[in-house]
Amino acid sequence: MLFVLKRLSFIFMVVWAASTITFFIPRISDVNPIRERFAELARLGGFAPGDLEKIVEAYNKSFGLDKPLWTQYFDYMSGVIRLDFGVSLNKFPKTVLMLIAESLPWTIGLLLVTTIFSFIIGNLMGALAAWPQSPRWVRSFSTSCILFQGIPPVLLAIFLILFFGLHLGIFPIAGAYTIGSIPELSLDFILDVIWHQIMPGMALVFGSLGTWVLSMRGMGITIQGEDYVLFAEHKGLSPMVIFRDYYLRNALLPQVTGLALALANVITSAIVVESIFGLPGVGTILINAIRANDFLVIYGIVLFLTIAVAILMALVELLYPLLDPRIKVE
Amino acid sequence: MKKLLVLTTLVVLGVFTTVVSAQSLTKMPREDTLVLGWSITSPIGATNPWASTGYTHQEGNSMLWEGLSYFGIYKDTEIPWLADSMKYTKSDFTQLTIKVNPMAKWSDGTPVTSADVLFTFEGQMQNNKLPYHASFNQYVGTMTATDALTVVVDFKIPAPRFKFEVLTLKFDTGMPIVPKHVLSKVDNVGEFFGGNEMAHSGPYNLVLWDANQKIYDLNTNWWAVKAGRISMPEVKRVIVFNIGGQVGQGMDIVAQRVVKNEFDATLDMRSSVIGNILKRNSKVTTHTGNKPPYGYLDWWPNSLWVNTKMEPYDDQRVRRAISLAINRDLINEMVYEGAKVATIYPFPLYPGLKKFAASSAVKSLEAKYQPGLYDPDQSEALMKQAGFSKNSRGLWERNGKTISAVIHGFEGIHSDIVPILVEMLKNAGFDGDINFGTDAYQSMADGKPGMYMFGHGASLKNPYAALELYHSRYSTAIGTSAGNNRFSRYKNSEYDKVLDEMAPMGSDNPRFEALAAKALGMYWKEQIDIPIIQWLHRIPYNQTYWNNWPTQSNVSLGMNGAFWHHTGMLVVSTLKQAN
Amino acid sequence: MYNYLRRNLSLAIGLGLLLMLVLFTANGLFTIDVKDAYPLSVRPKQPPSFKYLFGTDFFGRDLYAAMVVGVWQTALIGLIAGAAGTLIGIFLGFVSAYFGGIVDAIIKFICQMLTPIPPFLIQVIIASSIDKRDVTILTMATVVFLLSWMAPTLVIRAQVLSMRERQFVDVAKLSGMNNFEIIFKEILPNLIPFIAAAFVAQVFYAVFAAFYLAVIGLGPLREPLLGNTIWAAQSQSAFFNGWWWWPMGPALAMVFILGSLALINMGLDEMANPRIRSKE
Repeated sequence: MLFVLKRLSFIFMVVWAASTITFFIPRISDVNPIRERFAELARLGGFAPGDLEKIVEAYNKSFGLDKPLWTQYFDYMSGVIRLDFGVSLNKFPKTVLMLIAESLPWTIGLLLVTTIFSFIIGNLMGALAAWPQSPRWVRSFSTSCILFQGIPPVLLAIFLILFFGLHLGIFPIAGAYTIGSIPELSLDFILDVIWHQIMPGMALVFGSLGTWVLSMRGMGITIQGEDYVLFAEHKGLSPMVIFRDYYLRNALLPQVTGLALALANVITSAIVVESIFGLPGVGTILINAIRANDFLVIYGIVLFLTIAVAILMALVELLYPLLDPRIKVE
Repeated sequence: MKKLLVLTTLVVLGVFTTVVSAQSLTKMPREDTLVLGWSITSPIGATNPWASTGYTHQEGNSMLWEGLSYFGIYKDTEIPWLADSMKYTKSDFTQLTIKVNPMAKWSDGTPVTSADVLFTFEGQMQNNKLPYHASFNQYVGTMTATDALTVVVDFKIPAPRFKFEVLTLKFDTGMPIVPKHVLSKVDNVGEFFGGNEMAHSGPYNLVLWDANQKIYDLNTNWWAVKAGRISMPEVKRVIVFNIGGQVGQGMDIVAQRVVKNEFDATLDMRSSVIGNILKRNSKVTTHTGNKPPYGYLDWWPNSLWVNTKMEPYDDQRVRRAISLAINRDLINEMVYEGAKVATIYPFPLYPGLKKFAASSAVKSLEAKYQPGLYDPDQSEALMKQAGFSKNSRGLWERNGKTISAVIHGFEGIHSDIVPILVEMLKNAGFDGDINFGTDAYQSMADGKPGMYMFGHGASLKNPYAALELYHSRYSTAIGTSAGNNRFSRYKNSEYDKVLDEMAPMGSDNPRFEALAAKALGMYWKEQIDIPIIQWLHRIPYNQTYWNNWPTQSNVSLGMNGAFWHHTGMLVVSTLKQAN
Repeated sequence: MYNYLRRNLSLAIGLGLLLMLVLFTANGLFTIDVKDAYPLSVRPKQPPSFKYLFGTDFFGRDLYAAMVVGVWQTALIGLIAGAAGTLIGIFLGFVSAYFGGIVDAIIKFICQMLTPIPPFLIQVIIASSIDKRDVTILTMATVVFLLSWMAPTLVIRAQVLSMRERQFVDVAKLSGMNNFEIIFKEILPNLIPFIAAAFVAQVFYAVFAAFYLAVIGLGPLREPLLGNTIWAAQSQSAFFNGWWWWPMGPALAMVFILGSLALINMGLDEMANPRIRSKE
């Protein structure tokens, strides 16, 4: 129980730190999201209301932006505690929560699948790379996976589109589903969506494989020297069994703690990948908000991500003793 | 925990509502569907024109809301629409009488009456968050609905251009009419989304709006067909598909999809991209067909604006020296493949304005002031005269300070021209750099050091609106914000006198033209800003499924072919099936 | 040394790639005119040829010159940010582990608190908020290392903690060495492999982050940073227009740089961890 309380307070502190940092940074620049919305419309059509400044002032007043920064900070924080994340100034009258809720489905599917895939494949490759009995080609292939780390998902996305999408014409080059498809709970539609997620998924997976391979390989080599593995070998257990039950299972455990952090990093790659593939997920909303300095949306999304990651980390720590009986909860 | 629950519920609800609400849609064959590509950024559900800041007419909503009349720029004629006529009933332009078409109806069957027009006008008068609030308060005195179809507007001061600027829909300007029976029942119009069901007068109904697309289906009971304004549109369904990202990004993928006939029209493209689209798909055409410049002139010619109240831009010699450093021929060659896009005017060369620019008065002023001259030597001489000397880095310096030539601009639309301008300026000794950051627009409004790459969005038929941008009344003090388009903060009482004399005159008055020429001459002499390029909309029109797009050779009703403008409604409604 | 390299393949290849890059850049810096890396210098849109090894871009940059300057600037960012992050990590890690007590608790707590915050996100927000005229190589490096110092701090701290308990420290104390001497003469030399590994990891991270920021258009736009070049190529639809050489060069260079750093990192890991060393 104490453990749970400790963890909860930790999450609380993390969220507070994240929200405080993100609160003040966008305010350094004096870009006003309301004026930016008009600027956005102006650039496209050259038109903006006659007395733009007065309109912006009117909005500022109604959103409390003319109050001193500290007051706004406390107002915002007390709103957060009451679950009120405010409204998007750039896209009024949409609320921040609604914006996140509408775009989340398009991101979650992609990210979840991608992270799980790269976790499984990456760790398997890493484990095989360190296993002395695996064939030469497997080990060198795994090592080259590390080179993949050097290819940022951005570049990968561009090349995938060029090669698989345009040159070979196999996969759709953009969009979350075929134009004109009507979203419904039918198998056709769901398959359509999945088909459209394959290339973005590939771009993200390949980019993040490298880290898993590297760390798993390190883990694996350390474990090989452990006594219980030697003992299992002496017992005469088959290599398959040793690999699976003694080697893999023990090496995997510490990796799980890294899963939550990996999720956080994939989100940032998702921002660019989403805009390349035209997927209307959280990444797109965030980058649009950053460009317009729609700070309430920025806070909302960063908070949301941090909370998600912090909760995941805590969950993992909670479940860890179940996976590894050697660790006792302090 | 609670936050998580709320969020999860919202997510599930979000998915469900889109799924459930969409299930009543029928499948429509591709030949009956028009597919448009755009970066949709407005929040889902915002169809109420008064739901600022989120609402925009650009993402298909121009097909929902109509105006009293439209303007066909290439025919230079007014297209009466919801109003049968709008006439100035007093010769000094202080009274306007509007007659509403008796057959005009909202999509829910309620007739459009003078009450709706009056409601729309009064809303703008009273609500300080609406775009025409300032114009109404500046000009309008009283408004009355004398009967169910007539509205009389009395102006406080002569307003000869009010009807055109405010009440006529063209490009992205003008005011649509909103339904009184819907909006008067709402407590806070600014927070009312509107949703898919909001009653509107336009030809299409919004049936689906999710994060990826907006689907509009034809309203076969559209009043305009019965009233004889136009024949029934052949496009049965319009899909505005979200290409994601920011407007102007990722255009190569969009270009590919046009080539593959996934899109019928999209937002406009760069010069090199559209050329390649035409090469790869013979069914795609543009406003000028297969020839450069592959597009039509937009009303937003760009200049390098400067804050004329701030040192050193307050010195006319410095401004002139900057202009002399710009090689407009090289710009045409490098960026526009030879098409003559670089300009010396602060207005677009539409028929009315082209005539003005070609008039003898203007031509002689042009010969005198040579606004398009490229002469680095003369530039140097002027700078030395102004008291600058070149420092060790080859940059002009005075009292230890270089001249900031940071060009603030927008990545989506300026990424091809601004780097070239920066280099030209740097070569001439100005401290040039690029700012495509999020603070670009803010810097322009605040009058920060540097130069602002921005358009004029003012004149369409006559030069008054563009020239008026430099009137002293917009010359706000340093430290305060300039309004949109008025970044120059120019102050000159001589200039004001000319414009004030023009203000109450009708635009075809010969004295008006003479004064306009004089004002343009002053603009050139003073080099208030540095005009750079005309603005082109290079929109690809894919004729695989639809043709009769408005082009140079097919003038149609006179509107331009941009589907996102208010006149986009007319474009879509006049398209014909390709086979 | 040579024998070791023969066995530690990844380190060898990594160092080899790095050497190639260094030679390329050094040779380039002596032979090119730096002005050519900026727009309006040469004929635009030319494919690779003998005259222009990497071709030219839409704005008239000589892409060979742009690559050389770009690699050099990227290296600068990596080195500055990497060094800063590592130095902070060493200092804080040491202080925390060696002196223990409340100092340790505070530093450890701050590190743990900041870890779940997605660093790239904050960097993007910072980079978009600062005045664009202030975005230079130096400010980019600062933005990058601001949130990267936590990892090396925790690693160094862990190592120092384990060493503190070991016998040689007690012996040193008994023989009369004061704290400073113990730190510099006894502990530090044993930490070198870890510090080197942390440094390489920091440089990798810095280059990656700088590239990411530049690719979405948040870098110093006039400079030919590799990420900037790719961003410019994307915004002019280079692939669609057939100018494939424009983004290819920087992309390959980036892959080599990051790849070599990753391989060196892996190699150093082996050196630091004796178990791995014996297996390969």
